[in-house]
Amino acid sequence: MYLRNVDVLMGYFARRCRDPQAVADLTSETFVRAMDGFARFDPRRGSDRAWVFGIAAHVFARHCQQSAGDRDAVTRLGGHRALDQDEIEELAERIDAEREGAALMQRYARLPPVERAAIELVDLEGLTPKEAALALGVSGVAFRKRLSRARSRLRKEHHSND
Amino acid sequence: MTKFTEHLWRDLAEEHGSALALADRPEPGRARRQRPRILAGSTLALAGGGAAAALILTATASTPAFAVTRNGDGSVLVTINQTQALPQANAKLTQMGIDEQVTIDMAAGAAAVSGPVTCTPAPGVSGPSVKVLVGTNGTQVITSGNTGAGTWHLASCHLTGEGGSGNTGNTGAG
Repeated sequence: MYLRNVDVLMGYFARRCRDPQAVADLTSETFVRAMDGFARFDPRRGSDRAWVFGIAAHVFARHCQQSAGDRDAVTRLGGHRALDQDEIEELAERIDAEREGAALMQRYARLPPVERAAIELVDLEGLTPKEAALALGVSGVAFRKRLSRARSRLRKEHHSND
Repeated sequence: MTKFTEHLWRDLAEEHGSALALADRPEPGRARRQRPRILAGSTLALAGGGAAAALILTATASTPAFAVTRNGDGSVLVTINQTQALPQANAKLTQMGIDEQVTIDMAAGAAAVSGPVTCTPAPGVSGPSVKVLVGTNGTQVITSGNTGAGTWHLASCHLTGEGGSGNTGNTGAG
Protein backbone atom coordinates (compact mmCIF):
# COMPACT_ATOMS: atom_id res chain seq x y z
CA MET A 1 0.00 0.00 0.00
CA TYR A 2 2.79 2.41 0.88
CA LEU A 3 4.75 1.84 -2.32
CA ARG A 4 1.68 2.00 -4.49
CA ASN A 5 0.58 5.34 -3.11
CA VAL A 6 3.55 7.31 -1.82
CA ASP A 7 4.60 8.68 -5.19
CA VAL A 8 1.17 9.89 -6.26
CA LEU A 9 0.59 11.41 -2.83
CA MET A 10 3.86 13.33 -3.06
CA GLY A 11 2.72 14.61 -6.45
CA TYR A 12 -0.65 15.61 -4.97
CA PHE A 13 1.05 17.73 -2.33
CA ALA A 14 3.84 18.94 -4.64
CA ARG A 15 1.23 20.60 -6.83
CA ARG A 16 -0.11 22.46 -3.82
CA CYS A 17 3.02 23.49 -1.95
CA ARG A 18 6.28 25.01 -3.11
CA ASP A 19 8.08 24.17 0.10
CA PRO A 20 9.80 20.73 0.17
CA GLN A 21 9.42 20.50 3.94
CA ALA A 22 5.67 21.07 3.66
CA VAL A 23 5.38 18.36 1.00
CA ALA A 24 7.33 16.00 3.25
CA ASP A 25 5.26 16.82 6.34
CA LEU A 26 1.92 16.45 4.57
CA THR A 27 2.96 13.15 2.97
CA SER A 28 4.22 11.88 6.33
CA GLU A 29 1.11 12.98 8.20
CA THR A 30 -1.14 11.27 5.67
CA PHE A 31 0.65 7.95 6.10
CA VAL A 32 0.83 8.28 9.88
CA ARG A 33 -2.95 8.76 9.94
CA ALA A 34 -3.42 5.92 7.48
CA MET A 35 -1.38 3.54 9.61
CA ASP A 36 -2.96 4.57 12.88
CA GLY A 37 -6.43 4.36 11.36
CA PHE A 38 -5.78 1.19 9.42
CA ALA A 39 -8.39 -0.74 11.40
CA ARG A 40 -11.05 1.43 9.76
CA PHE A 41 -9.97 0.51 6.26
CA ASP A 42 -12.16 -2.14 4.72
CA PRO A 43 -10.85 -3.33 1.35
CA ARG A 44 -14.29 -4.67 0.50
CA ARG A 45 -15.52 -1.08 0.34
CA GLY A 46 -12.92 0.28 -2.00
CA SER A 47 -9.27 0.53 -2.91
CA ASP A 48 -6.51 1.67 -0.61
CA ARG A 49 -5.71 4.52 -3.02
CA ALA A 50 -9.18 5.98 -2.62
CA TRP A 51 -8.86 5.62 1.12
CA VAL A 52 -5.47 7.37 1.41
CA PHE A 53 -6.60 10.16 -0.90
CA GLY A 54 -9.57 10.70 1.38
CA ILE A 55 -7.12 11.10 4.25
CA ALA A 56 -4.83 13.33 2.19
CA ALA A 57 -7.72 15.65 1.39
CA HIS A 58 -8.48 16.01 5.11
CA VAL A 59 -4.82 16.56 5.93
CA PHE A 60 -4.45 19.27 3.31
CA ALA A 61 -7.70 20.99 4.29
CA ARG A 62 -6.50 21.14 7.89
CA HIS A 63 -3.12 22.39 6.73
CA CYS A 64 -4.81 25.28 4.93
CA GLN A 65 -7.01 26.15 7.89
CA GLN A 66 -4.28 26.18 10.50
CA SER A 67 -2.16 29.07 11.54
CA ALA A 68 1.59 28.59 11.25
CA GLY A 69 1.87 27.95 14.99
CA ASP A 70 -0.84 25.30 14.99
CA ARG A 71 0.74 23.74 11.95
CA ASP A 72 4.06 23.38 13.73
CA ALA A 73 2.36 21.54 16.59
CA VAL A 74 0.49 19.23 14.25
CA THR A 75 3.52 18.37 12.16
CA ARG A 76 5.43 17.47 15.30
CA LEU A 77 2.65 15.08 16.26
CA GLY A 78 2.28 13.78 12.72
CA GLY A 79 5.83 12.55 12.32
CA HIS A 80 7.62 15.72 11.29
CA ARG A 81 11.28 15.16 10.59
CA ALA A 82 13.76 17.73 9.39
CA LEU A 83 14.95 16.80 5.91
CA ASP A 84 18.56 16.43 4.96
CA GLN A 85 19.94 18.26 1.94
CA ASP A 86 19.55 15.31 -0.45
CA GLU A 87 15.90 14.92 0.47
CA ILE A 88 15.24 18.65 0.07
CA GLU A 89 16.77 18.51 -3.40
CA GLU A 90 14.73 15.41 -4.31
CA LEU A 91 11.52 17.05 -3.21
CA ALA A 92 12.40 20.35 -4.86
CA GLU A 93 12.91 18.44 -8.11
CA ARG A 94 9.57 16.77 -7.62
CA ILE A 95 7.87 20.11 -7.04
CA ASP A 96 9.54 21.38 -10.19
CA ALA A 97 8.38 18.33 -12.13
CA GLU A 98 4.81 19.04 -11.06
CA ARG A 99 4.87 22.58 -12.53
CA GLU A 100 2.58 21.64 -15.40
CA GLY A 101 0.15 20.01 -13.04
CA ALA A 102 0.30 23.03 -10.77
CA ALA A 103 -0.40 25.30 -13.74
CA LEU A 104 -3.35 23.12 -14.65
CA MET A 105 -4.55 23.47 -11.08
CA GLN A 106 -4.45 27.24 -11.54
CA ARG A 107 -6.70 26.83 -14.53
CA TYR A 108 -9.00 24.62 -12.51
CA ALA A 109 -9.05 27.25 -9.79
CA ARG A 110 -11.90 28.96 -11.60
CA LEU A 111 -14.08 25.89 -11.17
CA PRO A 112 -16.27 25.49 -8.10
CA PRO A 113 -14.31 23.56 -5.42
CA VAL A 114 -16.38 20.38 -5.71
CA GLU A 115 -15.92 20.22 -9.47
CA ARG A 116 -12.22 21.04 -9.18
CA ALA A 117 -11.73 18.17 -6.75
CA ALA A 118 -13.57 15.79 -9.08
CA ILE A 119 -11.58 16.59 -12.19
CA GLU A 120 -8.29 16.75 -10.33
CA LEU A 121 -8.59 13.31 -8.77
CA VAL A 122 -9.47 11.65 -12.07
CA ASP A 123 -7.47 13.64 -14.63
CA LEU A 124 -4.39 14.50 -12.59
CA GLU A 125 -4.17 11.78 -9.96
CA GLY A 126 -5.37 8.99 -12.20
CA LEU A 127 -8.01 7.65 -9.83
CA THR A 128 -10.95 5.86 -11.34
CA PRO A 129 -14.28 7.65 -10.92
CA LYS A 130 -15.24 5.01 -8.34
CA GLU A 131 -12.08 5.61 -6.35
CA ALA A 132 -12.45 9.38 -6.56
CA ALA A 133 -16.07 9.16 -5.38
CA LEU A 134 -14.92 7.13 -2.42
CA ALA A 135 -12.08 9.56 -1.64
CA LEU A 136 -14.53 12.46 -1.63
CA GLY A 137 -17.18 10.55 0.31
CA VAL A 138 -19.92 10.96 -2.29
CA SER A 139 -21.96 8.49 -4.28
CA GLY A 140 -20.80 7.36 -7.70
CA VAL A 141 -23.76 9.05 -9.37
CA ALA A 142 -23.13 12.39 -7.64
CA PHE A 143 -19.47 12.19 -8.52
CA ARG A 144 -20.09 11.53 -12.20
CA LYS A 145 -22.39 14.56 -12.33
CA ARG A 146 -19.66 16.72 -10.81
CA LEU A 147 -17.07 15.38 -13.21
CA SER A 148 -19.33 15.88 -16.21
CA ARG A 149 -20.14 19.45 -15.19
CA ALA A 150 -16.46 20.24 -14.63
CA ARG A 151 -15.41 18.91 -18.01
CA SER A 152 -18.25 20.71 -19.71
CA ARG A 153 -17.29 23.96 -18.02
CA LEU A 154 -13.64 23.58 -19.04
CA ARG A 155 -14.62 22.80 -22.65
CA LYS A 156 -16.79 25.92 -22.81
CA GLU A 157 -14.01 27.99 -21.35
CA HIS A 158 -11.55 26.56 -23.88
CA HIS A 159 -13.86 27.36 -26.81
CA SER A 160 -14.54 30.87 -25.58
CA ASN A 161 -10.77 31.46 -25.32
CA ASP A 162 -10.39 30.35 -28.96
CA MET B 1 12.40 4.48 -3.73
CA THR B 2 13.90 7.89 -3.23
CA LYS B 3 15.86 8.71 -0.12
CA PHE B 4 12.87 10.56 1.33
CA THR B 5 10.42 7.72 0.73
CA GLU B 6 12.89 5.20 2.16
CA HIS B 7 13.37 7.28 5.30
CA LEU B 8 9.65 7.85 5.64
CA TRP B 9 8.94 4.14 5.36
CA ARG B 10 11.62 3.33 7.93
CA ASP B 11 10.15 5.86 10.38
CA LEU B 12 6.60 4.66 9.80
CA ALA B 13 7.54 1.03 10.35
CA GLU B 14 9.49 1.80 13.51
CA GLU B 15 7.07 4.22 15.12
CA HIS B 16 3.68 3.15 13.83
CA GLY B 17 4.12 -0.45 12.67
CA SER B 18 2.41 -1.79 15.76
CA ALA B 19 -0.80 -0.06 14.69
CA LEU B 20 -0.74 -2.24 11.60
CA ALA B 21 0.20 -5.39 13.43
CA LEU B 22 -2.83 -5.04 15.70
CA ALA B 23 -5.07 -3.27 13.26
CA ASP B 24 -8.38 -5.05 13.71
CA ARG B 25 -9.99 -3.35 16.68
CA PRO B 26 -13.02 -4.95 18.28
CA GLU B 27 -16.34 -3.20 18.13
CA PRO B 28 -17.68 -1.87 21.45
CA GLY B 29 -19.02 -4.70 23.55
CA ARG B 30 -17.07 -7.36 21.79
CA ALA B 31 -14.18 -9.22 23.32
CA ARG B 32 -10.83 -7.84 22.27
CA ARG B 33 -9.15 -9.96 19.70
CA GLN B 34 -5.97 -8.70 18.20
CA ARG B 35 -5.40 -9.51 14.62
CA PRO B 36 -2.81 -8.34 12.12
CA ARG B 37 -4.32 -7.40 8.82
CA ILE B 38 -2.16 -7.78 5.79
CA LEU B 39 -3.21 -5.59 2.92
CA ALA B 40 -3.00 -6.61 -0.67
CA GLY B 41 0.08 -4.90 -2.00
CA SER B 42 1.40 -4.36 1.49
CA THR B 43 5.09 -3.62 1.74
CA LEU B 44 5.42 -4.23 5.43
CA ALA B 45 8.56 -6.30 5.19
CA LEU B 46 10.49 -3.85 3.07
CA ALA B 47 11.95 -2.09 6.04
CA GLY B 48 13.64 -5.31 7.00
CA GLY B 49 13.59 -4.60 10.70
CA GLY B 50 11.58 -3.43 13.69
CA ALA B 51 7.87 -3.99 13.69
CA ALA B 52 7.77 -4.73 10.00
CA ALA B 53 9.79 -7.90 10.38
CA ALA B 54 7.29 -9.22 12.88
CA LEU B 55 4.70 -9.87 10.26
CA ILE B 56 6.91 -12.17 8.25
CA LEU B 57 5.61 -15.67 8.65
CA THR B 58 7.86 -18.68 8.69
CA ALA B 59 9.81 -19.58 5.63
CA THR B 60 12.98 -21.43 5.05
CA ALA B 61 15.44 -21.02 2.23
CA SER B 62 13.96 -24.08 0.57
CA THR B 63 10.36 -22.91 0.88
CA PRO B 64 9.05 -20.63 -1.84
CA ALA B 65 7.57 -17.39 -0.46
CA PHE B 66 4.36 -18.00 -2.39
CA ALA B 67 2.79 -20.15 -5.05
CA VAL B 68 -0.22 -19.62 -7.27
CA THR B 69 -1.76 -22.63 -8.96
CA ARG B 70 -4.86 -23.03 -11.07
CA ASN B 71 -6.87 -26.16 -10.47
CA GLY B 72 -8.59 -28.25 -13.09
CA ASP B 73 -11.99 -26.78 -12.19
CA GLY B 74 -10.73 -23.23 -12.85
CA SER B 75 -10.37 -22.28 -9.20
CA VAL B 76 -7.09 -20.83 -7.95
CA LEU B 77 -5.02 -21.71 -4.89
CA VAL B 78 -2.68 -19.08 -3.45
CA THR B 79 -0.16 -20.49 -0.98
CA ILE B 80 1.70 -17.94 1.13
CA ASN B 81 4.67 -18.78 3.28
CA GLN B 82 5.80 -15.20 3.78
CA THR B 83 3.15 -12.54 4.14
CA GLN B 84 5.31 -9.95 2.46
CA ALA B 85 5.06 -12.05 -0.68
CA LEU B 86 1.35 -11.27 -0.96
CA PRO B 87 1.96 -8.41 -3.44
CA GLN B 88 3.97 -10.82 -5.59
CA ALA B 89 1.17 -13.37 -5.37
CA ASN B 90 -1.28 -10.68 -6.44
CA ALA B 91 1.02 -9.73 -9.31
CA LYS B 92 1.05 -13.38 -10.34
CA LEU B 93 -2.75 -13.41 -10.35
CA THR B 94 -2.69 -10.42 -12.69
CA GLN B 95 -0.19 -12.22 -14.94
CA MET B 96 -2.59 -15.13 -15.06
CA GLY B 97 -5.32 -12.83 -16.32
CA ILE B 98 -7.14 -12.58 -13.01
CA ASP B 99 -7.97 -8.95 -12.21
CA GLU B 100 -8.97 -9.51 -8.60
CA GLN B 101 -6.57 -8.92 -5.72
CA VAL B 102 -6.36 -10.88 -2.47
CA THR B 103 -6.44 -9.36 1.02
CA ILE B 104 -6.02 -11.55 4.08
CA ASP B 105 -6.87 -11.19 7.78
CA MET B 106 -4.91 -13.08 10.42
CA ALA B 107 -6.43 -13.97 13.80
CA ALA B 108 -4.94 -15.24 17.04
CA GLY B 109 -4.78 -18.94 17.75
CA ALA B 110 -4.46 -22.04 15.70
CA ALA B 111 -6.78 -22.70 12.78
CA ALA B 112 -9.86 -24.63 13.83
CA VAL B 113 -9.89 -26.30 10.48
CA SER B 114 -6.62 -26.80 8.68
CA GLY B 115 -6.34 -26.12 5.02
CA PRO B 116 -7.06 -23.27 2.63
CA VAL B 117 -9.68 -20.54 3.18
CA THR B 118 -12.02 -19.51 0.38
CA CYS B 119 -11.88 -15.78 -0.35
CA THR B 120 -15.07 -13.73 -0.19
CA PRO B 121 -15.49 -11.64 -3.33
CA ALA B 122 -16.38 -7.96 -2.91
CA PRO B 123 -19.73 -6.90 -4.39
CA GLY B 124 -19.52 -6.83 -8.15
CA VAL B 125 -16.39 -8.93 -8.29
CA SER B 126 -16.68 -11.93 -10.55
CA GLY B 127 -13.98 -14.35 -11.45
CA PRO B 128 -12.66 -17.73 -10.49
CA SER B 129 -12.95 -18.96 -6.93
CA VAL B 130 -9.74 -18.19 -5.04
CA LYS B 131 -8.52 -19.99 -1.93
CA VAL B 132 -5.59 -18.99 0.23
CA LEU B 133 -3.43 -21.32 2.29
CA VAL B 134 -1.03 -19.79 4.79
CA GLY B 135 1.89 -22.09 5.48
CA THR B 136 1.26 -25.78 5.26
CA ASN B 137 -1.96 -26.03 7.24
CA GLY B 138 -3.29 -22.52 7.82
CA THR B 139 -1.55 -21.95 11.17
CA GLN B 140 1.62 -19.92 11.65
CA VAL B 141 3.77 -19.09 14.66
CA ILE B 142 5.49 -15.71 15.06
CA THR B 143 8.42 -16.12 17.38
CA SER B 144 8.80 -14.14 20.59
CA GLY B 145 10.59 -10.85 20.38
CA ASN B 146 8.57 -9.80 17.36
CA THR B 147 5.43 -7.71 17.41
CA GLY B 148 2.43 -10.00 17.29
CA ALA B 149 4.39 -12.96 18.65
CA GLY B 150 2.21 -16.02 19.05
CA THR B 151 0.14 -18.41 17.05
CA TRP B 152 -1.97 -17.06 14.21
CA HIS B 153 -4.23 -18.45 11.60
CA LEU B 154 -5.77 -17.18 8.41
CA ALA B 155 -9.19 -15.98 9.54
CA SER B 156 -10.54 -14.72 6.27
CA CYS B 157 -9.58 -13.51 2.89
CA HIS B 158 -11.24 -11.19 0.46
CA LEU B 159 -11.16 -10.61 -3.25
CA THR B 160 -11.34 -7.03 -4.41
CA GLY B 161 -11.43 -5.60 -7.91
CA GLU B 162 -8.36 -3.75 -9.10
CA GLY B 163 -10.22 -0.43 -8.89
CA GLY B 164 -12.12 -1.18 -5.70
CA SER B 165 -15.81 -1.82 -5.30
CA GLY B 166 -16.69 1.86 -5.25
CA ASN B 167 -18.91 1.93 -2.16
CA THR B 168 -18.48 4.77 0.23
CA GLY B 169 -17.48 4.34 3.82
CA ASN B 170 -13.71 4.32 4.06
CA THR B 171 -13.20 8.06 4.19
CA GLY B 172 -12.58 10.14 7.23
CA ALA B 173 -9.84 8.13 8.83
CA GLY B 174 -7.92 11.33 9.42
